[in-house]
Amino acid sequence: MQVLQAIAEALQRGDVKGVKEGVASALAEGIDPKQILEEGMMSAMDIIGTKFKNNEIFVPEVLIAARAMNAGMEALKLKLVEAGVKPLGKMVIGTVKGDLHDIGKNMVRMMMEGAGFEVVDLGIDVSAEKFVEAVKEHQPEILGMSALLTTTMGEMKVVIDAITAAGLRDKVKIMVGGAPLTQSFADQIGADAYCKNAAEAASAAKQLVG
Amino acid sequence: MKPIERVSLALQHKEADRVPVYPLMCGVARKLVGASYPRWSTDMDVCAEAYEKVTEEFDLDVICTLIDLSVEAADFGQAIVYPENEAAHPDYNNYMLKSTADISALQPIKYKDSVRMKGMVKLCDRLVKSKGADVPVVAFVFGPLGVLSMMRGQANLFMDIFDDPDAVKNGVAAVTETLLEYIDALAATGVPAIMLDTLFASQSIMSKSMWMEFEGQYVSRIADRIREHGCMVMIHNCGNGIYFDAQIESMKPVAISFLHLPDDCKTPQELKEKYGSKVTLIGRIPPTWLLTCTQEELEEECRKEIDQYKAGGGFILATGCEYPANLGFEHARTIVRMAKEYGKY
Repeated sequence: MQVLQAIAEALQRGDVKGVKEGVASALAEGIDPKQILEEGMMSAMDIIGTKFKNNEIFVPEVLIAARAMNAGMEALKLKLVEAGVKPLGKMVIGTVKGDLHDIGKNMVRMMMEGAGFEVVDLGIDVSAEKFVEAVKEHQPEILGMSALLTTTMGEMKVVIDAITAAGLRDKVKIMVGGAPLTQSFADQIGADAYCKNAAEAASAAKQLVG
Repeated sequence: MKPIERVSLALQHKEADRVPVYPLMCGVARKLVGASYPRWSTDMDVCAEAYEKVTEEFDLDVICTLIDLSVEAADFGQAIVYPENEAAHPDYNNYMLKSTADISALQPIKYKDSVRMKGMVKLCDRLVKSKGADVPVVAFVFGPLGVLSMMRGQANLFMDIFDDPDAVKNGVAAVTETLLEYIDALAATGVPAIMLDTLFASQSIMSKSMWMEFEGQYVSRIADRIREHGCMVMIHNCGNGIYFDAQIESMKPVAISFLHLPDDCKTPQELKEKYGSKVTLIGRIPPTWLLTCTQEELEEECRKEIDQYKAGGGFILATGCEYPANLGFEHARTIVRMAKEYGKY
């Protein structure tokens, strides 16, 4: 459908106004909100993710696309609830204690939302206790942790140990990411997945809940 | 051979007695003088003493005066947080540039009114006097787009590039004017080289064309100014897929300190062939990996790096970014020892 294609194109170029207008037009035409979400917005975020992974586009382009996606979701949210559309899964995400960086974590959140997940964002400087409480409260399929510093990445192990001690480890898959991390570090602390970038996080999450 | 002779030969792409080495030990040096991070970052006598001690104790071939990435932004008026055990950073809840209008209105500041930049100059001055005859002192300066991001927030700035590119260019131009004056003061201390941190010039952040448009053309002027003073230009960038070609075009550096392969090279061999005669390569031990590796693994990594890059000079063994500030010193000793033992020509 032409209007869905227009939404997808607007989203890819980060055109907030274009996405909002496209969503309004699509709803006015009586198109199913789920179809607008999947064919207009999620498909576009999927292209963004692939291009990002392939180094065809970079952080600034992803950020403006995600901003447009958020605007589209705002315009569509009520209609999705009314239509009973369920998310693909739920993720609790946060930047670990002592670390105040949020750009990577926010990009993962946006890509996850773009992939159809519901995301509970705990923000930055999140303690192990808060992660445990959030897993108990929201019962997500996935817990995501971010760290940008060598001085804070060790906190991820503290969180995983706390999740284990609370008897929740077999109830949630744990994904970690951040500039200083490596696969070997993720393996060492017992994470289920290490994601090199935001696009990989969305793909890994789909596999983990699939 | 003195470190300055060894490094000089490496920069001329000649083989010295061995591969020069410096595992970018900056914040970790504070432990040698019993200083907290805030004190080490703000009291330049303490900072200088730490750099002198770490250079002597580990027999380092280069002193690079990285303190943190907030030095320049602090003098523009950005609120800075000084944590007890990590590098200073902007107050992320209180960026001084709240909008693109603020960026448009940003004006250069005078070096004479600065505090932290003057502190860096004082640090360089003392180190050149105490160590400069034997060890090259490289002054560390954050690039203009990076400085601007410290006052606006990276995510905000990246979106501003699309929303109001002229405002961003005005901001980068204002920072550049300030940095030019700062370079004059640093060069006057007698440092032989200035290292520019071009944080965004890699695939980790933005496209090559965007970097050239929003930083490359400005940082080119800074590099020219460095050379006008008779100093060498060096670059540090720990991003993935670093843009060697664009940065060499814009800054004509003598050396690049880096962690990951450039965007146009698939292997270390290709990198050495393509760029090994154009710039001295500094790196490329992953610093975060040091947190988990064993001594044997590190020795193997050092051997690998030395084998890949040492031929014909033009290589300095180093970590690809700062040595972890809260790590012990054992791995640093291993890196230096490997350069001395395995890095012999």
